[in-house]
Amino acid sequence: MEELDLLKKNWNKTNNFEQISESEIYKMLLKKSSSVVKWILLISIIELLFWSISGLLLSSDEAFAKFKVDHLTDYLLLSNIVHYSIVIGFIVVFYLNYLKISVVTSTKNLMNSILKTRKTVQYYIWYNMVMIALSFVFGILLVFNMDPEISKLNQNATFKYGLIVGFTLVAVVFIGLFWMLYRVLYGRLLKKLNRNYDELKKIDL
Amino acid sequence: MSSIMEQSFVKQLTENQNIIHKICRLYTNDGDAHKDLFQEVTIQLWKAFPKFRGDSKFSTWAYRVALNTAITLYRKSTRTIKTTDYEKHSFYVSQEDYNSDEEEQLKLMYKAVYTLNDIEKALIFLYLEDANYTEIAETLGISEVNARVKMNRIKGKLKKILNP
Repeated sequence: MEELDLLKKNWNKTNNFEQISESEIYKMLLKKSSSVVKWILLISIIELLFWSISGLLLSSDEAFAKFKVDHLTDYLLLSNIVHYSIVIGFIVVFYLNYLKISVVTSTKNLMNSILKTRKTVQYYIWYNMVMIALSFVFGILLVFNMDPEISKLNQNATFKYGLIVGFTLVAVVFIGLFWMLYRVLYGRLLKKLNRNYDELKKIDL
Repeated sequence: MSSIMEQSFVKQLTENQNIIHKICRLYTNDGDAHKDLFQEVTIQLWKAFPKFRGDSKFSTWAYRVALNTAITLYRKSTRTIKTTDYEKHSFYVSQEDYNSDEEEQLKLMYKAVYTLNDIEKALIFLYLEDANYTEIAETLGISEVNARVKMNRIKGKLKKILNP
């Protein structure tokens, strides 16, 4: 191809770049990076913290305690141990994946490790949402069946189903809002990366 | 206070800065964005420098990091570049040994390269830097055969842009 050869011939002749001095480079070394990886790390830490804290705040162990179900506190303790082991597991996997991000490997590897790190956080959020939903359902069942005052109201079918529909609606709206927030946030952040990753994958198809 | 490592890094980067400028030129559309990307590349290079052992040339190592930064780490999208934007760039100097026909062709060629997507630009860049297909494949993480196939497709695409 004649034109590309022409470009190649002139490629190194056309470097009239304004040269950056050593002192300017020293100054650049002090500046903060604004790379995608840094943003993902920041947002991920906020997310990990947010869900851990909201898990603590939403803890309903004390409320359940008054129902005096056999071994309930044992079950709650066990589920807490399992839950926090999983949370720690997620954080460890996230950190290990983060460490694997290297700008020196191939472009595809780099993209892969970024997406993997990001996915760990995504799974963590899904896990938390499922756990919140489960404890919600568990809590409602417990209250309906064990709380004497609500049990009385419970015999009124309209009240019962009204409550269930109401709670479900609130949950759907809540999850919908989160889903939208994530789409906007990560959509913006990862748009270019995803596009280029797809482009690279297409080459090897 | 600057360490010996820092001095060595800054010296090598200053000497090899054109290779990074070339990538910035390819992936940005004005002087500010060019500087911004150059700075991000510098930060990424500096972060990776402790692991740089002299088993490859500084320039080869630097263009890998710079390409990865431009394609993956740098947040600003480049797809929005309009073909007219390239004219704002001080793309090349007229030099006396160019005949005007050649110069015109070169101009069109740059314009065509500018319309390619990020990955295609990377392939063209590596080709122009005289990288062989093994190096191109390794840098991007694709197979050598497919790197060749893709390169031929890009050449075809450029031809089409130039001779519609």
